[in-house]
Amino acid sequence: MGRGRDKVFFLTLLPFAAAVVAALALLAAVFVRESLPIFLREGASFITSATWSPSTNPAKAFYGILPAIYGTLVTSAIAVGIAVPASACMAVFVNEVLPRGVREAFSSVVDVMAGMPTVVYGLWALNYLAPALQKFVMGPLHTYLGFIPLFACTPVSGYSLLSAAAILTVMVTPYTFAIVKEAYSSIPLKYREAILSIGAGRFETASTMLGMIKPAVVGAALLGVGRAASETVAVTLVIGNSPSLSPCLFSPGYTVSSLIATQYGESFLYPYMLNALYAAGLILLCLGLGLSGVGTLMMRRWRGLRNA
Amino acid sequence: MRESGLRWRRVRDAAFTALVTAVSLAAVAPLFHLLWAVFSRGVRTIASVGLIRFLTSLPPAPASKELGGIGPALAGTALLTAVSTLISVPVSLSVAILAVEFPRNPLSKAVRVMSKAFMEVPTVLLSMLIYALVVVPMHTPSAIAGSLALSLVMIPYMTTYIESAMESVPRTYREAGYSIGMGKAEVTFDVVLGAARRGAALGIVMGVARGLGETAPLLFTAGGSHYAYPMGLWWPTDSLTLLIFDFAMTPYKNLNAVAWGAALILVAIYLIIFATVRALVKEVRG
Repeated sequence: MGRGRDKVFFLTLLPFAAAVVAALALLAAVFVRESLPIFLREGASFITSATWSPSTNPAKAFYGILPAIYGTLVTSAIAVGIAVPASACMAVFVNEVLPRGVREAFSSVVDVMAGMPTVVYGLWALNYLAPALQKFVMGPLHTYLGFIPLFACTPVSGYSLLSAAAILTVMVTPYTFAIVKEAYSSIPLKYREAILSIGAGRFETASTMLGMIKPAVVGAALLGVGRAASETVAVTLVIGNSPSLSPCLFSPGYTVSSLIATQYGESFLYPYMLNALYAAGLILLCLGLGLSGVGTLMMRRWRGLRNA
Repeated sequence: MRESGLRWRRVRDAAFTALVTAVSLAAVAPLFHLLWAVFSRGVRTIASVGLIRFLTSLPPAPASKELGGIGPALAGTALLTAVSTLISVPVSLSVAILAVEFPRNPLSKAVRVMSKAFMEVPTVLLSMLIYALVVVPMHTPSAIAGSLALSLVMIPYMTTYIESAMESVPRTYREAGYSIGMGKAEVTFDVVLGAARRGAALGIVMGVARGLGETAPLLFTAGGSHYAYPMGLWWPTDSLTLLIFDFAMTPYKNLNAVAWGAALILVAIYLIIFATVRALVKEVRG
């Protein structure tokens, strides 16, 4: 009797939940269907070519997204390369340096950063961060280290791969910090007491504790790359949006998501362009899901190890 | 020898403390500069227009000396947020109930994994998805399309929060419910959600705050003009975030100023929600 009622309850919930499953299936179907024509037409050169030349003549149109892939990889790598060590420092700062009473306050400030609308970061970076970087970072680096290809070009405007990497760093740090902090605070007290009991100082305590949460830190880095690669509007506002392929960090560029954001509106004018953008999106989707899948698995394995 | 080793360790600890402190302060410094910039430039715009006029009038024409308001964008954000909340809440509740109250059913496991997967989908792709599924068949961007795209962002967040609120209700409460002959539906709604209503409500508010600040899902779906009020669900609409995005990029100084004013309004709404949630969370825990 009760069983039957429970079944009815289960079945009434199902349609709503099934909508979520349907949405994910549709996501896969739409992106595969829309990107198939460009893969069939261009093959691997879609990813390996740096030529982005829309044309109303289908015979002449060609789309290569190598610069966007390079931009996504290099900006996310820089952002996470800075954000993860910074998050480790912040986790130590919160747990070892700050007095108990203000820990919560510091974490709240970081939480405010994590939820701030991304377009506001973009507006701020466009007006303050990019010009400041051009003047105080790109200029000096170019003058003194211009022989390194990454710094070889003259920073004409602040809108560049480096500015995008910088605002991504600001935006990703709260996210990776949350993961690293959770792992750090979850180390059982007995380990901490054991470390302290042999007379360890602050540096030794922190480095031992960080060593214990290494898998969580790696997981945070992978999830952070996924987060950085998927950010759209803030990056679009500062990256300069140019399809040129240059290794130089001071030149304007694209990420896959900023390419989509800026080109999608006009894509119906050109044959195959919409397909190219869906294909770029599909690549981004696979990258993001892959990274977050591996990152989540690492976190889970680490939690399992800890609880074992 | 021992003495110098001890001194070295003290110096190293002091240097290490200085390093982590400097890095941590540097990491949050951008927030304070950003808040200062939004506040000072936003106030400058709003003060010269007047708050009520800024919230209710149309934006200025590009390249004019005039400043105007953000009326259509504000109305659009209100509409989009309301509709996407109406869509997201029942779906999130259903997914959370399936996940927590029917944990062993393979169907609910699948639903749970898939709703989490949405959290990792770049939001600009959600915009492309809804474009293909809704905008193309309707032949026009619309408030409903924008709301659907926003819902796809909000649902995984709400679900996660509601799930953890429901999971925190002790097993014994449920058993007490069953022991007096309640069915699963009654136990779920009267006992579990009754006990977890505060946490679930907070989850919903967090999801709404998330949706409010999103731009990318709306890029190809809402499609409204900055100068026209939304006429209903089936018509295009603007939003605060879309207006900031577009006006930030224009070379026109007056539109840039309006973008800062809009950013101040958006940040103020966000901070108010954040502070309210924090205060309520403390009350729940305390």
